[in-house]
Order: sequence, then structure tokens, then C-alpha cells
Amino acid sequence: MDNLTDLPNSDGFFGDYGGKFVPETLMHALKELDETYAKLKNNPKFIEEIDQDLVQFVGRPSPLYFAKRLTDHYSGPQIWLKREDLNHTGAHKINNTVGQILLAKAMGKKRIIAETGAGQHGVATATVAARLGLECHIYMGAADVKRQSLNVYRIKLLGAQVHAVDSGTATLKDALNEAMRDWVTNIEDTYYIIGSVTGPHPYPMIVRDFNAIVGRELRKQSKEQFKQYPHAIVACVGGGSNAMGIFYPFLEESNVALIGVEAAGSGLMSGKHAAPLNDGEPGILHGAKSYLMQDKNGQVVDTHSISAGLDYPGVGPEHSNLKDSGRAKYIAVDDEEVLSSFHLVTKLEGIMPALETAHAFAALEHIAKNYKSNQHLVINVSGRGDKDINTVATMDGISLD
Amino acid sequence: MEYLLTRLDDRILSLNKVKKKALVAYLVAGDPSLDSTLELMHGFVNAGVDILEVGVPFTDPIAEGPIIQAAHDRALKNNTSLSDIFKLVEKFREKDTKTPIILMGYMNTFLANSQALQKAHTSGTDAVLIVDLPGEIDLEELGIKNKNLASISLIAPTTSEERISQICNKSSGFIYYVTLRGVTGSSHLDISEAEENINYIKLQTLLPVFAGFGIKTPDDAFNLSKISDGIVIGSSLVEMIHQQSSKKEFKKIYNYLHEISEAINR
Ligand SMILES: Cc1ncc(COP(=O)(O)O)c(C=O)c1O
Repeated sequence: MDNLTDLPNSDGFFGDYGGKFVPETLMHALKELDETYAKLKNNPKFIEEIDQDLVQFVGRPSPLYFAKRLTDHYSGPQIWLKREDLNHTGAHKINNTVGQILLAKAMGKKRIIAETGAGQHGVATATVAARLGLECHIYMGAADVKRQSLNVYRIKLLGAQVHAVDSGTATLKDALNEAMRDWVTNIEDTYYIIGSVTGPHPYPMIVRDFNAIVGRELRKQSKEQFKQYPHAIVACVGGGSNAMGIFYPFLEESNVALIGVEAAGSGLMSGKHAAPLNDGEPGILHGAKSYLMQDKNGQVVDTHSISAGLDYPGVGPEHSNLKDSGRAKYIAVDDEEVLSSFHLVTKLEGIMPALETAHAFAALEHIAKNYKSNQHLVINVSGRGDKDINTVATMDGISLD
Repeated sequence: MEYLLTRLDDRILSLNKVKKKALVAYLVAGDPSLDSTLELMHGFVNAGVDILEVGVPFTDPIAEGPIIQAAHDRALKNNTSLSDIFKLVEKFREKDTKTPIILMGYMNTFLANSQALQKAHTSGTDAVLIVDLPGEIDLEELGIKNKNLASISLIAPTTSEERISQICNKSSGFIYYVTLRGVTGSSHLDISEAEENINYIKLQTLLPVFAGFGIKTPDDAFNLSKISDGIVIGSSLVEMIHQQSSKKEFKKIYNYLHEISEAINR
């Protein structure tokens, strides 16, 4: 096996996956970004600037918290929570945007664009754009604009413009299509902040690296707080950025099990889900080769998930390689399991997770029994659930008006 | 990739001989129906089109503007698949064995049909143009081996000199120069930039250079034909086809193509 930490290769491939499958107009911009990042990533001043932002603006490090009542509830491993929900703006997404906005600044770009599903990446992007006084446009599927209305309003308050995308399935993938079209059109002055470890090279690498602060902190905190690395790390997977961020610094620690949790929607058998690693085939979407939900003609199929941030037919290419190599395992949980897990965690721990994050918690129902009480399992709490209150109320048949 | 000469090269040679500029016309297969597409393809040729570019619909066509996106959606509602399109080409060949046909689409649909692509030429298909396949990557590297099939590459205003020579070295048929920064159907056409870039490309290759994206009027076509070896026209045709989709009176479209064809050889 290749040394997984050294991937991608210079063409942007993680094994068979990744690459740059984009219209020619974008090729130059990707090269420019790749070169800028290569130059800056080891530059002490650049590192210092990011580190300072992560501490003073984002509020890092995020705590590693022992979930006592959840641990008692499952009588399996000791359950620890990596609290990305406590970050400024409420999710891990800000780790990536504070980094990428500095790349945009270094490249002299004046206009920022991004896609968003749950709206967390939209908020995180609008936040850093506001801070630097840059024009900002957020593309969001029309269906998501409805179910994440709170975040839409936050984005607007931050001074960014929200573009509702009606085409296709009006969700995250269509928002990405539209952001790419904007980028092709405004390539000279525009920086595209992709929100997950998806898209063409070098994005999957850059977004992973900026989120890897989570895994690096965990290496230190786990040694300090329970004297060893975790036996397992569990994270939800949409595009896969929070999972990649916490997995990456542990790729070479073969005793640490890495478990990604996809959205099974109405159930894997129903076909109405968003779990390409569980039930997809390799294909090419949004510039990279990776597992993809598609029909036999290579058309991308409609996805379904209760959670807007996981409602995406593709997944970051590095996850596809981790799946094939066996280094990480990917399971899926359905909407109902997620909703009951949301309630359970809220009541037992006083922590209201995002519906995306609730997928990672729901996995405990399946895997907690595999661990003993002297083993340690860490859940990446990728975000908080305030944005999902309307969805949860509707699912529970409660009107908030 | 090793590659045998096709109808496309024949057509380019014969245009060259009489010093004619090429008119390439795009339409989406299955919009409004495969039968109409077949009728339109023959109609285009009668109206003066030299090369046909047949769009293969895809759910996520990131390089297309709203007009062509909508056409892809309509074609997909009709369940148009790549194998249907090979059958369409076969049918077209019953009456026309000379006009080159290029299938234009996105990597994922071609990848899902890689078996069929290996014998695409038996249907009468001459080339593919895959929008999201970088010019320096061979189809062969992706497991699609067919030396009877040309792969047309795009060069954009943002393509670096280094990439231009890489792409030129790997290309067959012709070079497709994208005249603007944007999606299909935009209107940011910049003739003087296009001229400079096309002149540069022509120093790197003996292949003809066609210009496309953003051409709407006979005047656009005339202006671009002065600086290139041919032009590609797409969105405006797709829009006209859609407008006529219920009445199916395609005569207006053929008149328009005829005008364009005259303009580029003025
Ligand atoms: C809280 C939260 N977790 C997870 C995700 C999924 O993204 P990723 O898989 O890239 O971490 C999102 C996306 O919107 C999110 O908001």
C-alpha cells in the first residue's frame, strides 16, 4: 500500500480517484491555485496567520469532551466528543474558509463564490468574506434555501448574496454546478471556496489540510486525556471534509479504526438515499473521479437525505481510495435512526447536534457493542443543530408558528 | 493515441481544397425527440452545415448555459441514452455517409458506456468532444481505446502557452477554440483576443482551428470566420429548435443556417 499520507500525487490522484476533470477554461486557475498553495503552505508567516485566526477568531482548540451519560447508555466504549460545534459559526466548515480566504487574498482575488447545502459552508464563507470586505456570492439549491432558511438569513446578514438554484434537483449538487459556471465566467477576479473535500485537484487536498487541525488536536488531546490514541473515530460523510479532517492525522495509525457514516435516507434498499460509498459506482462528477450515485447510463441520480449537508450524490475522492484500500469503513444510517439519535443526544448530553452530525451519533446503535468499556471512541461533532430546529419540528409533527 | 483518418479528416481536407470555412452545428440528441433530431441533422446538412456536433445529454452539464442545460433536461426526460444516440447515428448514415459526426458530452456518460465507445465508429460516429476531459489526457488512459475515433480538444482564452503546445501535440481532427470566458450561450465575445490566440495556436499546429461559444448572429459568424478556419454554432440553434418543438416547422432554422453559411464564406 502507498503511504496514504503522501497522497494525492502531483496529478491530484488518490489511487484511482481524484484528478482534474473540468472544462479547459478552469485548468489554468487550478494550476495557479496549486502553485500558490504549494508556495504558502510551508511559509512560516502564512502558518502563523492561520494559526492566529484559528485561535482568536474561530476559538480553537475545540474541546475533547467525555460523554458520560451516552457512554452509560450504550455500555460499550467510552464515548468522547470532539466539539467542532463550538467553533465560531457553529461547525467545522470555518476551519476551511479561514484558510482558503487567505489563499484568495494572496492571489489578489476580489470576488468570492461558494456553494452550500446545509448553509453552514455558506455562513462560514460569508463570515470570512465580511471580515476581509470582499464581495461574496453563495449558491444554494432552492430546496435547501427552504429547509435551511435560518442560515440563508444569516448569510444575507453577513452581506453576501444568496442565489437560489432551481435547476436539476435544486440541492447541493446543482449549487455546485452553478458555482462552477460562475467561476468559468468570472475566472479572472473570482476565487471559488469549495466547501468540502470534493471538486478538482487541488481542492480535495487543500480542504483536507485546513480541516486536519481537528485530527491534530485530537492526537494531542487523546494522549493527554486518556493516555492513548482512540480505538475508533466516527464522523459523518457528505462530501467528507469533517471526516477527512479528523481521519487524516491518523491514517498511519493502523490501530485506530476510522468509520465514516453516510446518509441512508429512506433506507439503502429504497434507493432514496445519499450513500455513494455504500451503494454507488466510480464515476466523474464536479471535476473528480470518485464513488457516485448514478444509473447504468452514467446519469447522476436523485438523492435523498433529511440532512441538506449530506444530500449529495458524490463524495471526496480520498474517501473512495480509503474505502478501496480498506483503511476506513463506511456505513450508512437512515433518516429515522438519525432523528431518534438527535433526540437522544440532546436529552442525555445537553448537546444538540446538526442533523449531519446526528448520523455519526446514530452509528453508535450499530457499532457501540463492538467495543469494550476500556476502549475509547471519538465522535466528530461536526456542527450544532440550531439550523435544523424547523426540520426536526416538522418531522415530529410540531408547528412552530 | 494512434488514430486512423476518418470522415472528419476527409471533410476538412475537401473544405481546405476549395478554401471554404467550416460550419459546425450543435444540437442536443433527443430534444424534442430522437425523430426530430434525425430530421434536423439532415436539414442542417442541406442548409450548408459541414460538420454535425451532437450533444449527449447529461444531468450535470457544468459548461453549459441555461439554454443548453434546459435542452439536456428535456432530452433526459425522454430517456435519451448514449446507445440511443449510436442508433440515431446509424439511421443518419443510411442517407448520409459523408457528413462527419462528433458526439459532444461529459466524461461520466462516456465512461459508463466505455464498451460501446470502443466500437462507436461502426455506428458512423467520427469523433468525441468531452468537455470535462483535459486535453492532455488520452481516452486510452481511461480504458477507452478506439483508433477510429478522434478526440477533439478545447483551448480556452485562459490556456497557457505550455498547455497549448501539449494539447496541439495530442489532438486530431481540429482544435476547438473557446472564444470566451463563460458557459455556452454567453455574450462576452472578444474578437481581438480571439484573433491573437488563434494566431498563436496556428503557429503550434497544422490542424485547423474552429471557434465557438457565443456566436449568435451572421455578423458574429462573419467576424470570427475571418480569423479562424470555421465556426461552431450551438445555443442559438438549440433555442430555435425549442421554440419550434410543438409546430416542428424547422424552415426558419434552416434559413438561419443558410445565412450563417453564406456569411462565413463571404
Ligand atoms: C455540521 C455539518 N456536518 C457535516 C457536513 C457535511 O459535510 P462534510 O462531509 O464535508 O463534512 C455539513 C455540511 O453542510 C455540516 O454542515
